[in-house]
Amino acid sequence: MTDRSDGPQATRGDGKSAARGASPEPQPTTPPAKGAQGPTPRMALWFLLPALILLGAMVIYPIIFSIFRSFFDSAGDTFVGADNYTAIFTDASMLTTIRNNLIWVVIAPILVTTIGLIFAVLTERIKWATAFKLIVFMPMAVSLMASGVIFRLVYEQDPDKGVANAVITSVGDVFDSSQGYPGARPRENDAAPALENGAVVTRQPIQAGQPALLPLVGLKPDLLPADAVTAKAVTGPGVGGTVWLDFAPGGGGAVGKIDDNEKGMPGVTVEAVQQGAVKGTTTTAADGSFTFAGLPAGDYVMRLPQSNFTASFGGVSWLGPTLITPAIIGAFIWVWAGFAMVLIAAGLAAIPRDALEAARIDGATEWQVFRKITVPLLSPVLVVVFVTMIINTLKVFDLVFVIAPGSVQPQANVIALEMWRVSFGGGGNQGLGSALSIFLLVLVLPFMIINIRRFRREQQ
Amino acid sequence: MRKAKALAVVAGLSIVTAACGGADPAEPAPAANGASSAPAAKTLEGVTLEVAAKWTGEEQTNFEAVLKAFQDKTGAKVTYASTGEDTGAYLGPRIQGGNPPDIAILPQPGLVQQYAEQKALKPLASEVQAEIDKNYTPYWKELGSADGQVYGVLVKAAHKSLIWYRAPAFEEAGVQPPTDWATLLTAAQTVADSGTPPFSFCGASGWTLTDLFENVYLSTAGPENYDKLSKHEIPWTDASVTTALEKMAEITGKKEFVLGGSSTALQTEFPACVTKVYGEKKAAMIIEADFVAASASESGAKVGEDAKFFPFPKAGETEPVVLGGDIAVALKESKGAMALLQYLASAEGGAVWAKLPGYLSPNRNVPATTYPSPVTQQLAQTIIDAGESVRYDMSDLAPSAFGGTDGKGEWKYLQDFLRDPSDIKGIQEKLESEATKAWKK
Amino acid sequence: MMATATVERTVANSAGAPKRGVLGRVIDRLGGGFLQALLIVVALFWLMPTLGLLIVSIRGETFNNSSGWWTAFTQPAQLTLANYSDLLATGFTSSFWNTIAITVPATLLVIGIAAMAGYAFAWIEFPGRDAVFLVVVALLVVPIQIALIPIAKLYGSLNIFGSIPGVVLFHVAFGLPFAIFLLRNFFAGIPKELLEAARMDGAGEWKIFATVVFPLAKPAIASLGIFQFLWVWNDLLVALVFADTDNQPMTKALQSQMRQFGTNVDILAPGAFLSLIIPLVLFFAFQRYFVQGMMAGSVK
Repeated sequence: MTDRSDGPQATRGDGKSAARGASPEPQPTTPPAKGAQGPTPRMALWFLLPALILLGAMVIYPIIFSIFRSFFDSAGDTFVGADNYTAIFTDASMLTTIRNNLIWVVIAPILVTTIGLIFAVLTERIKWATAFKLIVFMPMAVSLMASGVIFRLVYEQDPDKGVANAVITSVGDVFDSSQGYPGARPRENDAAPALENGAVVTRQPIQAGQPALLPLVGLKPDLLPADAVTAKAVTGPGVGGTVWLDFAPGGGGAVGKIDDNEKGMPGVTVEAVQQGAVKGTTTTAADGSFTFAGLPAGDYVMRLPQSNFTASFGGVSWLGPTLITPAIIGAFIWVWAGFAMVLIAAGLAAIPRDALEAARIDGATEWQVFRKITVPLLSPVLVVVFVTMIINTLKVFDLVFVIAPGSVQPQANVIALEMWRVSFGGGGNQGLGSALSIFLLVLVLPFMIINIRRFRREQQ
Repeated sequence: MRKAKALAVVAGLSIVTAACGGADPAEPAPAANGASSAPAAKTLEGVTLEVAAKWTGEEQTNFEAVLKAFQDKTGAKVTYASTGEDTGAYLGPRIQGGNPPDIAILPQPGLVQQYAEQKALKPLASEVQAEIDKNYTPYWKELGSADGQVYGVLVKAAHKSLIWYRAPAFEEAGVQPPTDWATLLTAAQTVADSGTPPFSFCGASGWTLTDLFENVYLSTAGPENYDKLSKHEIPWTDASVTTALEKMAEITGKKEFVLGGSSTALQTEFPACVTKVYGEKKAAMIIEADFVAASASESGAKVGEDAKFFPFPKAGETEPVVLGGDIAVALKESKGAMALLQYLASAEGGAVWAKLPGYLSPNRNVPATTYPSPVTQQLAQTIIDAGESVRYDMSDLAPSAFGGTDGKGEWKYLQDFLRDPSDIKGIQEKLESEATKAWKK
Repeated sequence: MMATATVERTVANSAGAPKRGVLGRVIDRLGGGFLQALLIVVALFWLMPTLGLLIVSIRGETFNNSSGWWTAFTQPAQLTLANYSDLLATGFTSSFWNTIAITVPATLLVIGIAAMAGYAFAWIEFPGRDAVFLVVVALLVVPIQIALIPIAKLYGSLNIFGSIPGVVLFHVAFGLPFAIFLLRNFFAGIPKELLEAARMDGAGEWKIFATVVFPLAKPAIASLGIFQFLWVWNDLLVALVFADTDNQPMTKALQSQMRQFGTNVDILAPGAFLSLIIPLVLFFAFQRYFVQGMMAGSVK
């Protein structure tokens, strides 16, 4: 909404074709203005003057100025030819920026238009269509700045705060809930058990009557379950041992030894492994001890499988470098789907019923009617929505600026934002900034030409 | 650029102050120690001046108290204009429009170079230079210079060679504040073993990473190399940079050392990382400057009890003291502007300011005892003691496209390094290529 | 007239009296209940982000730091207006008034200037009229980025850089192409008999403009007004460049808090909510005109 390009004004020029689809009435053409005592051309000048001055000084002059400025260096006194433009297309981070704009232009308009179409079609069938439309349309009134704040909250990484991850993790937890001790690990020294593919294993095989010690650290003592009691060494004849938290609050205590103030870790799954095959499985008691009943004599490696230590699914890193652009596009869809829906619904409403009825009488299925009649009749509106969205995506600025955290700004960058950053936000290079703004202008040029052509066609 | 800092500095130390009995910030505090403070005639009656700086809130109030002292002394009328967070963005168009403020206080020396090149700065009058020679080490004088011409006065400093820790977390793990790199690593390991991730990084705020790098680099490579790298006289592919990055990876590269892992750290802005240590009590240490105190006490920690700091331990030969700071420059030729700069550079002006909370002076003739709290006094003393070997924040010395822009240069590649510390060489090459570009401009 | 009629008809339809529609029967197969449920989910999905913002803005800071806003449903004790009173104590109110001081003149000026120009384009014959209007059409899609650097320089020399008039002027200039386009097309739809009768009566152009055309154009002006209002109210980029700290609107004030997102939610959320409440009220009050404006843009 911030950008002037938003919304209808961009569509206006393209509106002609939409009109054909949406309003069957004859359109008023340019009015003949010859009255009885027609006003003089000089009169027109007075009416036009304020607008012409403003447009001339603040829109047209800047275009010309920027073209010149783009051929000079950052200080503005040295002519550098096309260097600034070369920089746009050679700099690695600038290429990422252009690539992002490409992703935006390819994906966002299609999604917005499709979703708008689906909503428009579906709402035809419900009684509370007006309410639904208002809800979906409402984000149009919200500034992109505020939308940015909103989606920063939605995409918060911590599932306790960000609603997106809260939903995802709670769905995930249904299938895979975590118990155990995420984060617990052996100490880093040669005597401690080793880590193998996430499982903790004893370095030496043990035999019956030779209790295994499996000290673990990296876990806060208060995260132990309430039933955990002081760790105890096993003194039986069988194969067994102790899994315990080898860290006493306040430090002290001997490394790798069971001290009085160290607690056992109950509920840990332990496997006895012989030559790669699991021969027995058991679980530790409240004092961390375990014994295998009925294992044949021999050498066994004790293994605590990874399942003891897997953290629960922490959610998706929406604002990380990989997903940032899709995440922002999600926010964009939230903002613009209502716009698409309302325009398309208007187009839909204007489709002559008899054409559809005739087709149905001819035995066409609903899908065929939709594909062969509705969509073609709607296509002018769809094009309008689509083109408007393309222009909007080219100029997207606020959402990226606000949603992407500082460290992923490079991965989320887009041209309109880079232009601001380069010229005002610390870059201090207005030569390059001007080149970028010209580049942006060139990108929207095709739509400018389309607008002019449509308008001229209409004039005839 | 340093969004968080500005606010934080003052508030932070003011809390320290308050805890220690404090000074009355409203008191104009006429300086006791300047010969220049004789009840001279108000020589600047009728002169009006505009000073622009990024400070807001309490920081602005304090600075205005200093300006007030100057007005009372000279009769000049000084107005304060806030530049907002981005001083460069504020000044650029005003300079180009030919209507700059009389004096601007720049958050980075890089801007001094930039504006000197645009011929937007006025050279300091000889009285001001004399004042600088009297009160500052040559290093500081050079910082305010471009092409051999002196333009600026460093008026305010931030101490960046500190590691803050949460005392209860250290007690729980049974460790003492480390004194060198090796004990820092063992302490971190022990804290990690106790179940608390030792470090909380603000990876989303690129400057916190450059601060860390600078401490390690100054420490391992020494002040001379530090100066060379600051000026890009040695390349970023230099072996000394490799060493520093390897050292840095010893703490940033270990999964259990970084709260939430690197991906969370990279989404954490300053001061959220401080909140995670002192508010949510999820980690034990945070490597940042004196102004952490503000956020720590905002999170409910008592500075000096729960929130303590130790000097950044030396990772090599040198005890690092890295400072940040703000530099005052004149953008218009006027007698009033030079008089105000001279006042700011003097021990008299510095002492007025030092009595207020949240201020550290780089002026060696502002005695540590001037400061209102023991913590600030201690910080000020380390600066005075370090004398010639104090260094200025390297990233702030660089062109801002390299040292101070989101998504560019040092910020970006140190973030990449935090994300994946395995490819030191690749990171160095990218840094070098960006540096070459930035210095060429 | 016809244009309005068309618009209103389409809007009436689109605003959705239920009717056995085009694809009705396709959807019948999905089952009415399923469809209802699906759309309810979608509507909730669309509401949720804003709802979340509202709740975060009225939750205590400590709760926001430790748990999700949805827990407030089960523990209403978390709710407080403290964030709002804190926010108002920070001087956020001045940015609120700045937003008003920028938005209101920028909207009124665009309407006035564009109405005059639109009238000239629609009803006064002059050489090169179509060509000039083509230029206006061409300017519709010009990105505002192009003007940032040159206008910053221009404002510097005019000494209005950073000031509210500077921001207003920029918004007016870049609002004009759309406004002129919209109004010119609307004016063109006014029956020429009305104007000719007035001219016969000897009324001057100014009088016709003021007493005949302008009153007839109320719906179009309302549409334009609400659009322009929302654009300006919601702008960040122009404010970022042209408004200094004393004159900054809410969007810029919020943006400057954004870098400390993790610890600033208690300021950002109420700020963002305050900034969107007025546009939202306007939107609901005038949504008919809003939709009309949009249609007029595309369906004209």
